Amino acid sequence: MGALLKMTFTKEDAVERARRDLAARLSVNEDEIKEVSVEGADFPDMALGAAAGGEMSGQMITSGWRIRLTADGKSFEYRANPNQIRLFNYKGANYKI
Amino acid sequence: MNRNNFLPHVALALVLILVAAFAGQVRNWQRNWHRRKHVEITIPPPRPAEPATAESAEVFVRFRPGVSEEKIQSITERLHDMVEDQTEAVSGLNLIEDEDGKDADTVIAEYSALPEVEYAEKVYKIQLEETGDRSEPVLPNDPRFSEQWALANDGQNGGTRGADIRAVGAWATTTGSNKVVVAVLDSGVDYTHPDLITNIWKRPEIIKEYEDRNLGTIDDIHGYNALDNDADPMDQNGHGTHCAGIIGAEGGNNEGITGVNWTVQIMPLKFMDANGSGTTKDAIEAINYVIDRRKAGVNVRIISASWGSTQKSRALEDVIKEAYEAGILFVAAAGNASVDNDKSPHYPSSYNVGNVISVAALDRNDQLTSFSNFGARTVHLGAPGKDILSTWLNHEFKMASGTSMATPVVAGVAGLMLSQNPNMSVDELRRHLLDSVDKLPALKTKVATGGRINAAKAVG
Repeated sequence: MGALLKMTFTKEDAVERARRDLAARLSVNEDEIKEVSVEGADFPDMALGAAAGGEMSGQMITSGWRIRLTADGKSFEYRANPNQIRLFNYKGANYKI
Repeated sequence: MNRNNFLPHVALALVLILVAAFAGQVRNWQRNWHRRKHVEITIPPPRPAEPATAESAEVFVRFRPGVSEEKIQSITERLHDMVEDQTEAVSGLNLIEDEDGKDADTVIAEYSALPEVEYAEKVYKIQLEETGDRSEPVLPNDPRFSEQWALANDGQNGGTRGADIRAVGAWATTTGSNKVVVAVLDSGVDYTHPDLITNIWKRPEIIKEYEDRNLGTIDDIHGYNALDNDADPMDQNGHGTHCAGIIGAEGGNNEGITGVNWTVQIMPLKFMDANGSGTTKDAIEAINYVIDRRKAGVNVRIISASWGSTQKSRALEDVIKEAYEAGILFVAAAGNASVDNDKSPHYPSSYNVGNVISVAALDRNDQLTSFSNFGARTVHLGAPGKDILSTWLNHEFKMASGTSMATPVVAGVAGLMLSQNPNMSVDELRRHLLDSVDKLPALKTKVATGGRINAAKAVG
């Protein structure tokens, strides 16, 4: 079946993947990425309020984690739940990781 | 009798036999018709019992153990009555019919005075009513019904009594029909869920398999999967299963919950993945499927769409217009970003197409939820959408919140309406739905109708 099968992340997995993703995007070492906060949050939809271009999502309140990171003096927000990780509003767009 | 008289007499006798046979058949037809009517009757809780108004008094008499049939026979003959029936399951219980014009009270007094009799009582009429003629509350026996505040709010868990869609009032008129098909355009549906399985659409044999120009023939037994382009719309997320349960979890089956419709046909459609996201391409493909099935003869009149985004798609709008032309209502979630859709539209709910109804979410106190989008022009009405219990994956049940949950409430009410008035046009259906609200102060400037859907008004 071609449907995306559910992955399961722990909060720690999600933070780790977010750090790795941001380091790659910014072309910096992971140790330059600082974790500001990781907190539970309710997001407005099943795309965690971070729908990528053209993406439709179920309009159900979805629990997850808001992961705030900094690098080079700039702030970045990732959103995750056990099934997905997204980068919110990065240069005006959202990304599924 | 001479030979000349014989043939006319035989002919006359034959005619009389035929007339008698025909009269008997007519009585059979009448009996069968009544029986057929009874099959369609849902038995509500019995009304307060009323004495039967039979022409000859009939009473139940239970004789004490050891009283022989011969003794019973002699008693009834002495009192000028007859045994009309014996109730095999209860020893000594006989239905006695009076034969000399006494009323039931007198007959009861006569029998009650006898040492052989344990008791005598009237025959009470328990009225079975057709679904369209009920006046008593019709409550389902589903064990978690009391948690479904959206359908019947008694003020449970801090709610406001009566802040619900008046489902119980609607059920006095109709609990739905298996002739109405509602498409759930979503992440698919777990069509094996025990509380849904009876109400899942199955393509009738007279409807041909789905033919897609590019994909070929698809044996769409239970709907369509536009994500994988196949016939299996099994849900891997849970969202679609939740929405399906709100519309039509089987009611009165002593299992889980009840849907707005106790009986309906849910057509599962899958275009969103295990994360609850999908593309306009697959949404369009699935809507195209619904239109095709409608044209093929399936009575699919409603699409429930609990999804969206802020991106406008002309192609999606066009296919929704095609659904409108095909007589299909399109009920859509207003969105959960707490924004005014009049200023920041949310699609597909904000498309200005004649079949679209945009739904905001209310809490158990008839207040707009903090997350719900609104719009005095472009959001049409409110429906319960917070802490809504419904079916979920793995044959479970789960509470969920969102305009996703409010949308199938309205789609479900539309289903009830069509069970009552199957010939309503899509324009009539939409107009009547929007006229069937309870005005709420909280919605006065927030949605076009200023109110929350009232199912009892909608089917009234």
